[in-house]
Amino acid sequence: MRILFFAHLKDITGCAQTDLAADNIDTPELWRRLIATYPGLAPQQSQVRLARNCDFATADTHFYSGDEVALIPPVSGG
Amino acid sequence: MDIRVELTPHPIPLARPLPKELTGTAGAIAEFQGIVRAQEAGREIGALEYEAYSAMAEPMIRRICQELAAGGDCQFVSVTHRIGVVSVGEAAIHVVVASRHRAAAFALLTGFMDRLKQDVPIWKARALDTAGRPIAPAP
Repeated sequence: MRILFFAHLKDITGCAQTDLAADNIDTPELWRRLIATYPGLAPQQSQVRLARNCDFATADTHFYSGDEVALIPPVSGG
Repeated sequence: MDIRVELTPHPIPLARPLPKELTGTAGAIAEFQGIVRAQEAGREIGALEYEAYSAMAEPMIRRICQELAAGGDCQFVSVTHRIGVVSVGEAAIHVVVASRHRAAAFALLTGFMDRLKQDVPIWKARALDTAGRPIAPAP
């Protein structure tokens, strides 16, 4: 799956996107894998929402190999 | 309802004509411009740089407008948001709502701005000084 980072999360991870080899994982497992690769994301987790294929994820969302997953920090448009 | 959404790197033309179909039916046009101020988080700035997750932001803006307009008498909504560098004094967002009566237009406009600032994936990515240099985040 493709992982997208926005705003200050790009500075934390050092990239705008990355590929994660995983299939059918739930939200806690996705966070565990992301933080294992990018420990700087750990303090951000409580404020960052996940989106799967352009829709906000819920507690029940699972993530699959072909998905586009975005980490959405608090928004500030307008 | 006619909904138009645009994320653009270019300055927003603020005097665009409304669709001709509104002539004679729209009794109210509510308009909002969000302007970049010279101070951000207590610091002097020259510009803000906006970033968007466009693939999600555009359909989300459209969906929010549809939800807010449901059951009302709004006829037209136009949302234009800048991305990239927006200088102080320029509009970062321009929203136009047309409806038969003013209450619906005001309600959709304020409701939309509230939802934008909660849910739509657009960010002030960084502030720039008057020379265009990034300003370090406040400690």
